[in-house]
Amino acid sequence: MKKTVLSLFSSLKLTIGLLIIIALASVLGTIIPQQYEGGESFRHLSPGLIRAFKSLQLVDMYHSVWFVILMGLLSLNLIVCSLNRFPTSWRLFRKIPSLDRGKPFENLSPDNVLVIERKRNEAIERVENLLRRRYKRVRRRETASTTSFYGEKGAYSHFGVYIIHASILIVIAGAIIGSLFGFDAFVNIPEGESTNVVSLRRQKGIKELDFTVRCDRFSIAYYENGMPKEYRSNLSFLKNNKAIYQGPLLVNHPVTFNGIRFYQASYGSVPGGQAYITIQKGDGQETAVTVKLGDSFYLREKDAKVTIGRIEEDLMSMGPAVLLNIQSSDGNMRLWVFKEIEKIRKGIPELLKKVPKFDPGLFKPYYFKLHKIENKYYTGLQLSHDPGVSSVAVGSFLIIPGLIITFFSSHRRLWVRLDEQEGKTRVLVSATSNRDPVGLKREIERLLKLLKKAGGVV
Amino acid sequence: MIINATILSWVTFVYFASAMFYTFRMVTGKEFWGPLGSFVALVGLIAQTLALILRWVESYKLGIGHAPLSNLYESLIFFAWTIVLLYLIIEWRIKTRNLGAFVVPFAFLAMAYASFSPHVSNRIQPLIPALQSNWLISHVVTCFFGYAAFTIACGLGLMYLLKGLGEGQSSRPFLRYLPDREILDELSYQSVVIGFIFLTLGIITGSVWAYSAWGSYWSWDPKETWSLITWLIYAAMLHSRFVRGWRGKRMAIMSIIGFASVLFTYFGVNYLPGLHSYF
Ligand code: HEM
Repeated sequence: MKKTVLSLFSSLKLTIGLLIIIALASVLGTIIPQQYEGGESFRHLSPGLIRAFKSLQLVDMYHSVWFVILMGLLSLNLIVCSLNRFPTSWRLFRKIPSLDRGKPFENLSPDNVLVIERKRNEAIERVENLLRRRYKRVRRRETASTTSFYGEKGAYSHFGVYIIHASILIVIAGAIIGSLFGFDAFVNIPEGESTNVVSLRRQKGIKELDFTVRCDRFSIAYYENGMPKEYRSNLSFLKNNKAIYQGPLLVNHPVTFNGIRFYQASYGSVPGGQAYITIQKGDGQETAVTVKLGDSFYLREKDAKVTIGRIEEDLMSMGPAVLLNIQSSDGNMRLWVFKEIEKIRKGIPELLKKVPKFDPGLFKPYYFKLHKIENKYYTGLQLSHDPGVSSVAVGSFLIIPGLIITFFSSHRRLWVRLDEQEGKTRVLVSATSNRDPVGLKREIERLLKLLKKAGGVV
Repeated sequence: MIINATILSWVTFVYFASAMFYTFRMVTGKEFWGPLGSFVALVGLIAQTLALILRWVESYKLGIGHAPLSNLYESLIFFAWTIVLLYLIIEWRIKTRNLGAFVVPFAFLAMAYASFSPHVSNRIQPLIPALQSNWLISHVVTCFFGYAAFTIACGLGLMYLLKGLGEGQSSRPFLRYLPDREILDELSYQSVVIGFIFLTLGIITGSVWAYSAWGSYWSWDPKETWSLITWLIYAAMLHSRFVRGWRGKRMAIMSIIGFASVLFTYFGVNYLPGLHSYF
């Protein structure tokens, strides 16, 4: 029993099976809408289907029990397999095969045989020098009629696979640490306000930080074509009402405070902005007022009270506008005053006739002009604390040398035998490699050339 | 129309011509067409490189300078560029023109889609804040080298299967020009290895970017998930070769499945719920 479980987990069939199952499961996860993407995509589904998805844990699949089990099996598979195999690789790495084996030279291709016009004892040194320069752990053994050499290179190539597999385990470990001990949260802070309470994303609920974050200012810069260029929050981090750190937060430039990383994630506007309005009377006299939402002012001539109902940064894509609620003896009237009224009028000439409440001169004898609104923003911050990141980083970094060693190096073992024939020396060259037979062949050709040269020079 | 886009739409035809010359060589068996195909492909590559540099310079003139790697149009162009570059390097290294007819058409298709699809805008746009990152550039570059290598592996897989169909009818010049199956298999494997390493780098640089822009190195969004799926498919493929010794037809089929997954990661993902949102 123990044996079969072990052999199951050390089998590569299981690996390939798991890789494919995880791939298929991930496909499913990209087709079935996932919970954290918001309810939006659930709308077209029938309630029964949603219930079925929920009970199979398909709506937050990548965190479901069964997906975690799959990843666990994969890790176990990797660990068992590696432990199982490692002693063999270690032996291959350490062991120096016996030097005078005949086997490498059986069925040797005639291309791998060379005759040097020298006595053996003269040739030995030259061959040995050459081999020592190009190979590691070069050994030599003499018998009465032959000299045998052994050399190798790239023995470390046996470990590439372990580096890859270990780095994958390190990444998985980092992901586990992150999901157990880390959190993701978000918070919206209006300009000028501060908070120490944030909403947790996955665990739901709230979290109290042991410091306070204040948004001093939020601003957006635009390109000429109107696309956003920069979102910037000026933040202060406070402890006991003292600012410990102040600085800007931009997209792609997170700020870390107390082990928590802050990201610029979104923004919006909140009530509390200001509008600059001027009021022209029929006689050309102009009065300027600065108002906030809910503020009122009086127009004495008509005994009217004007209250600011709304301040909009962009109303119906026609730019900034304010809503005036006008109460007078004539009755109540609502008037939208646009900043860009001249442009709007040019664009849609009959608009003011059709929608009289857009006419800034509707409440005679007054004419309202909106000069500017100053929005009050809130900044949307994403917070994250992930103690697993360094592990993930180490794993991701290690996998690259692992891949390079695995794919671009090979353990090449070389046997060279010299024997004397009628005053000349015959050189036999044989080699094996755990990978890349083409590269090995090229290397032998090069070596034979060098041997010929080394042997020929007097 | 902007000058770089004009050059690039001409390059589309240049690659088409090159693909045709490589194909003529196979069909007619006349060696003459081969060097012509290579020459034309090289001309196209040089013109495309110049156009990319022009586009880069132009973006600085507009005051919104950034590497031309930021939208679908630019990524398609870069995809074609990496395919031709890698292909010409391989042609030069292994000294055979037999792959051209199966690889260069992919570059042509990418260019044609970029230049002539009404859904792909060739305007130089400024970078929104989320895209203003050097990690993004390394992400795009590594991913597309990976994709290009997988494209070549897929072309080789197709050649392998085609060669298999014609087994025993070696008199057809078309099939005779295909390299031996062992060579195709080996080349395809090597392309997959290159692609796999670049894809791994691409996923890593992508997560570094996500980590600095969104606060999470991995959030299972469809694009990320599909790149992982692609990675898993090729990992399964490499394991079956390494440990179980699978060769030949199965590998050819796997390289085509893997490429389908690459294409889905690149294009198909846009049709799924949830998105790689850019703030
Ligand atoms: C995704 C997670 C991975 C898992 C679960 C995994 C698992 C395994 C397992 C179980 C074996 C079989 C060992 C044996 O038969 O003794 C194996 C072998 C191997 N794996 Fe992986 N592997 C993974 C990723 C990778 C990656 C990314 C590569 C590189 C492309 C890789 C390269 C290899 C190689 C080269 C071998 C053969 C070792 C040999 O023949 O000595 N593995 N892997």
